[in-house]
Amino acid sequence: MSVEPAVLARARARVLGAVAVGAADPVPPGTVGASDGDRVWVLPAWPDGATPALLEEYQTAPVPLDRPGQARRVLAAALRCCWTRPDDAPWPGESAAVAAVLGVYADMSRGDAVLARRWATGELRRLADTGWLLLDEASGTVRPGPRVALWAEHALPSLRDLLRRLPEPARDGDGGE
Amino acid sequence: MSELFEPVLRGHDERRRAELVAAYMAVEHAAEPVPEVRFAALREPALRRALEEMLALSGRTLVRSEQTRWISGYRDDVAAELAAEPECVPPAHERAVLTLVLIHSVAIPRAAGLLADDSWLSPHPTPVEELRRRTQLPIGELEAALRRLRTAGLVAQVKAGADDAGGFVPGPQFHRLTAGARRRLQEELILAAGPDSPLAAAIRARRRGRERDRGETR
Repeated sequence: MSVEPAVLARARARVLGAVAVGAADPVPPGTVGASDGDRVWVLPAWPDGATPALLEEYQTAPVPLDRPGQARRVLAAALRCCWTRPDDAPWPGESAAVAAVLGVYADMSRGDAVLARRWATGELRRLADTGWLLLDEASGTVRPGPRVALWAEHALPSLRDLLRRLPEPARDGDGGE
Repeated sequence: MSELFEPVLRGHDERRRAELVAAYMAVEHAAEPVPEVRFAALREPALRRALEEMLALSGRTLVRSEQTRWISGYRDDVAAELAAEPECVPPAHERAVLTLVLIHSVAIPRAAGLLADDSWLSPHPTPVEELRRRTQLPIGELEAALRRLRTAGLVAQVKAGADDAGGFVPGPQFHRLTAGARRRLQEELILAAGPDSPLAAAIRARRRGRERDRGETR
């Protein structure tokens, strides 16, 4: 009485979150693959183009974030730096220096800039844990995460407008302190 | 795009199809069990069967709570298979922290009659100081474990109030345990907390019996 392999593969994909396999490896049937050329991230397939945003229409609360406002602002600051060709989709986007992202975030926030950077650093890790960003702490760079590949096309224009209004990232070399 | 669900959805008209999709997204993504009064596909038995079929495609099933609310969780057979895969199981120090939260927030209040028998959610926070003392983990590791457990929805933080210091309680994922999973967790906690107790001996005997039965039917 073992579980059907395809069912188990989709269940495993949910347990592991967005995990990467080699670009040549097959993704389980009934999932979506987000490829950056080298690797493919396995993402859930949702019925009829629905996204979790549907919960809002039914006044149903999604799993809460600890500091949702801060998480969204840090994700926005990262996209400001990594989504360099706004006419394209945000995925896979470009790598940007973490320092530049922290700079944009500090410019967006009121109050103590040192503290803002420290909070944003923790938030970058949480966003990387959940697949919204790909963070490479060793090289100090960040990229959009595979989950942004699930954003519906019709949701992108308002996001583009929002990002245009954010402070511009500092150019390479002068983003840090 | 969503060919996966097509065999189940195909037979339904547009309205029912939309109702199935809405209920599917709700039970898979909501923080808490959703009331059936808001979703036709949870209320009507025929649609609910179709919803079960959609969930089963990914090894999930409906979990009922408080009679009229529903959420999804892993089917017991699927959970057992995944638990046998090391990459699908959180590392030992995260499990240790979670176990301590379950002992302090659920097992002890339940033994004192402060919690209902069949719930793994609790309003009684486990203080961080207690976690620090009992896990014997360096503070950095404890904090990293708590961060990952929170992100996974396995624990939730309770801010300090007027009469307590705050701390951690079991997170929203505990809504998603099937009846079988809740029973196994209860048994594991008894085995861990009182391995020499008569209750633990009874659990071991029952499990041996089940394994024997399974062996004979093979």
